[in-house]
Amino acid sequence: MTVSYLVGYYLWVGPHVLLAVVLFAMVRRRLYRQFPMFFLYAAFEILQFVALFTISRSPVHFGVPYIRVYSIGLALSTAVRFGVIYELFSHFFRRYPALEGPGRFLFRGTTIILLLVSVGLAFSAPGKSTNFLHSVTYVLDRTVSVLQCGLLVSLFLFSRHFALSWRSYAFGIALGLGVFACVELATSAIRLYLGDFGNRAVNLCNMAAYHCCVLIWMFYLMRPERTKPRVVNPPPKHNLDIWNQELEHLLQR
Amino acid sequence: MIITAILVFVAMFALAGLLWLAKAHASASKALENPAEHIRAVDIEAFRNLVDPDEEEFLRTNLAPAEFRRIQRERLRAAVDYISCAAQNAAILLRLADAGRRSADPATAEAAEKLVNNAIRLRLYALQTIPQLYLGMILPGARISSGRIAESYEQMTRLVILLGCQRYPTRGVSAAL
Repeated sequence: MTVSYLVGYYLWVGPHVLLAVVLFAMVRRRLYRQFPMFFLYAAFEILQFVALFTISRSPVHFGVPYIRVYSIGLALSTAVRFGVIYELFSHFFRRYPALEGPGRFLFRGTTIILLLVSVGLAFSAPGKSTNFLHSVTYVLDRTVSVLQCGLLVSLFLFSRHFALSWRSYAFGIALGLGVFACVELATSAIRLYLGDFGNRAVNLCNMAAYHCCVLIWMFYLMRPERTKPRVVNPPPKHNLDIWNQELEHLLQR
Repeated sequence: MIITAILVFVAMFALAGLLWLAKAHASASKALENPAEHIRAVDIEAFRNLVDPDEEEFLRTNLAPAEFRRIQRERLRAAVDYISCAAQNAAILLRLADAGRRSADPATAEAAEKLVNNAIRLRLYALQTIPQLYLGMILPGARISSGRIAESYEQMTRLVILLGCQRYPTRGVSAAL
């Protein structure tokens, strides 16, 4: 057993065990009510891991049934991840009703632009794999990565521009997903270029990014949420003189 | 190969940007510790004057075309500074009012809610108006409407006073606006 093999095994098993801990924390704190899509995503990831791990231990190992389950799982997990991103955008629309119109416009606009970019990329750089099915899978993988990475970066830019405050749980979910989406964009582009499904270095890089992402979720979802922003030295509650002076100052202008 | 390299570069750039934005988000709460220090004064009358179409018409008829274009560019540059200042103030007030929304006092919570909406609206207007003003710098003859910014800013200032009178730590903020 080589070190690389052990690292690979750890990066496959470890994040899912930690994700189960995150899921347990979400149940305990009833966070599944606030973030149902993320809860579904985490549960699905664990379920998919259990299924794949069981198949890999069976006589078929990493054969055709494994690849089929993996491909179906990947497609479903990707779809649910879009749901999580939409949930994060909606989190802002609920907190700031004034943003609902422009926010939805931005979400749709960004999605359309990113879709056009990724479709353009799919035609201009279709990949090298001779296997049609592999080639289509890689192109779709890269298309989805461009969309998810772009949407998450635009979500952060959106909150930055409007100086919106995140709830720390939502912030943690978005940050973890964003880090993973960025790394996945790079690895999906490399994978498409190499045309190699089982490139070990690329897979390890992807798994390590996922591990970091789960650690970020653990950090944010397992600590108590800070609800009140820090305000140092609040003034006396009924210091009317100060407020009157300020009002007079304003009226004199 | 080139597209792959570009995508890898874009992904790494996006990752760095994301981490920077996350770090900036964590440090942004420090602005709340003394809001008045971060607020920059905005002279609404001067701003109104800068974007007043009558004033622009007056300058256009009384100045030589080249001189008018030069002055108009200066005026628009000053207007961009005013709007940027107002938008920055709105961002600080938004964070302050955000905290006020959780107040147990319904009047404070309501005033804070209105302030949040106004601050968001002002930042939206700023987002729409600044590119128009830059366009006006390139084409000094183009008509630009920025009246909504001034109205929204005044409305926001009134709400800061209201919020301050009720309870929330906006001491010094309204004076600075």
